[in-house]
Amino acid sequence: MTHVLVVEDDRQTAAEITAALNDHGFAVDHAATGREGLLKAAAETYDAIVLDRMLPNGIDGLGVLSTLRAAGMDAPVLILSALSAVDERVRGLRAGGDDYLTKPFDFLELTARLDVLLRRQSAPQPRETMLRAGKLEMDLLTHTVRHAGRLIELLPREFLLLEFLMRHVDQVVTRTMLFEEVWNYRSVEPTNVIDMHISKLRRKLDSEGSETMIHTVRGAGYRLHAPE
Amino acid sequence: MRLSDLPRRTSFRLALRFFLLFGTASVALCGFLYWETRNYVIGRVDDWLVHEQSIFSPMDRDNLLQRLSAHLMSDPTLERPVTLFNPSGRRLAGSQLSVPSSIWASMPFDTAFRFVVPESGHPMLFRGMAQRRPSGDILFVARDMEAAHEFSEVLIRAFIAGGIITILLGLAGAVAVGADSMRRIDAVTGAVQRIVNGDLTERLPVDGRMDDLDRLAEVINGMIGELERLMHEVKGVCDNIAHDLRTPLTRLLAGLERARRRAASAEEYGAAVDEAILDTRDLLQTFAALLRISEVENGARRAGFTDADLSAVLADAVELYDPMAEAKHVRLRFVPVDIPLLMRGDPNLLFEAVGNLIDNALKFTPTGGTVTVGGFDRDGAIGFEIADTGPGIPLRERDAVLRRFYRSEACRQTPGNGLGLALVAAVVRLHGMVLAIEDATPGCRVTISQRKPEDGFRHGGAKRTPSGSDFEIKAEPIKGIA
Repeated sequence: MTHVLVVEDDRQTAAEITAALNDHGFAVDHAATGREGLLKAAAETYDAIVLDRMLPNGIDGLGVLSTLRAAGMDAPVLILSALSAVDERVRGLRAGGDDYLTKPFDFLELTARLDVLLRRQSAPQPRETMLRAGKLEMDLLTHTVRHAGRLIELLPREFLLLEFLMRHVDQVVTRTMLFEEVWNYRSVEPTNVIDMHISKLRRKLDSEGSETMIHTVRGAGYRLHAPE
Repeated sequence: MRLSDLPRRTSFRLALRFFLLFGTASVALCGFLYWETRNYVIGRVDDWLVHEQSIFSPMDRDNLLQRLSAHLMSDPTLERPVTLFNPSGRRLAGSQLSVPSSIWASMPFDTAFRFVVPESGHPMLFRGMAQRRPSGDILFVARDMEAAHEFSEVLIRAFIAGGIITILLGLAGAVAVGADSMRRIDAVTGAVQRIVNGDLTERLPVDGRMDDLDRLAEVINGMIGELERLMHEVKGVCDNIAHDLRTPLTRLLAGLERARRRAASAEEYGAAVDEAILDTRDLLQTFAALLRISEVENGARRAGFTDADLSAVLADAVELYDPMAEAKHVRLRFVPVDIPLLMRGDPNLLFEAVGNLIDNALKFTPTGGTVTVGGFDRDGAIGFEIADTGPGIPLRERDAVLRRFYRSEACRQTPGNGLGLALVAAVVRLHGMVLAIEDATPGCRVTISQRKPEDGFRHGGAKRTPSGSDFEIKAEPIKGIA
């Protein structure tokens, strides 16, 4: 079972996060201060750590993070912060964070991102030139996509969108993740427009009569599932 | 205004201080004049005494006696007495001058000195010089100083009279200056009191003299104007938040109550909860958008400023909104610029602003219409414009549409929270840019531009210029109207 440490000083937020992660099938430990978080991280092996940026009493989130990294712990760390400024994010990632989520956030967003981090951790992707998902094939060198041998014409952005989905096949990717990773902008994502890009991509991918490969996950985002 | 307040007034004190300074200077000047005049007169008398002595001293005794007798005849009033005394002090010849014994005892020789003869009636003031002759006799030459003395007294009286007039004029001047500034300060204080009491339409009085006080009053009036605008905005925002959030909250409550009343199965409850979740999410998004606008307005995002390429941002935004235009059967046209449009800014915020404007334009453009997006670098400014073929924005609403929650009657039915353009305005303001809304006949054109700094590299909007670039956004739409 996936074991996650949540370092968060606000009791109620911590309880909500714990409940959400439990529902997602994770075992959760909670620490209320940076000190307690460090002690727990040293005593136990965690698959991932959810770390609040602002912590009371001495050691704040970034302090905890740099201590963890200095001690050689490489579990993926997702930073939660009320500070949304771009340079705050950069500081968090530079200190050794793997992802940065601004409060308030959707719990579905949190679990989706943790899934991506955990997958990345367990199977580091080699530099590949071909991506495969079911009958879907993507050649990263020639920028061509084939579905069951049929060539599919894609616009550059659609190609990037599909590449991201294929790299996270069978995982939930949120619209925020798509906006950040495919469009490379960090601001409030225009939800309906991303949905339109997805439906255009869907129309190009799916052949007549077959079930769609890009599934909408209600209230969260999308999941690519390509049957063999 | 009370006269007893006067000594505490700065201007009165200043006037008084100047008056004291000039008073002291005049006293010193008068004293100097008096002293110099007196010394000059005495010097001339002393020269004359030496000269007289030099005439008499070479004469032998007979000659001298003869001359003295003649002198007695020509000067009977003791104006210029010349007298020969024997060593014991008895008058031998010359003027009828009786030298007081007190002076006689300690009389210096060959040097001029001042002495008083207690003559009948009033004492007479003299200056004299004694010379001991080889025979032991003493030749005494003197001069009556009464006229010189009177001249000195006239001079002193004139000085005192002048001094009194100066004091009176000076005090009157200080009071006048003090009272004038007291009147103006009182007027300002009164105006400030009324403003403190909540009347933000009040302004400080300006005399039109354009002196220090006027200039200060004008600056403060500008500040109050801006405060008034902000207060209105805050009040408007509060009213609008209350109004705009009440509707979805009422809907949420109604939905939950209906579920409580009617729902029979778990599925129906589930559907009601899902609906409530969607409504709540919308509400949270509205709050998040509000907080974002404040964050941008506070300049907290300025930390994210880099050298952003506006043309890349425009291209990305157009590409993002293309499917939406397609779905609405509106043509989204991008007029690219060949050169990169570099400016200091936060590309994420610029992207969001451009996106909001395109989204808005698409929303209001009817099927078959066109939305045109283009960047420019002309007349020392870089920026972009977004034109649509929609209904346009009426003149009187062009300021208002940039306010939070403002929704014109025409667009009550279109979805949206009324915060999009407010965020655009905040981003524009943060970047020190100018936003103008104009008619594109048909439709409307929004132009956003930034003056290029003349000196080398750009500072971007991060720097507050003395001209107050923050206010330009307010001024510009008005220019559009005119």
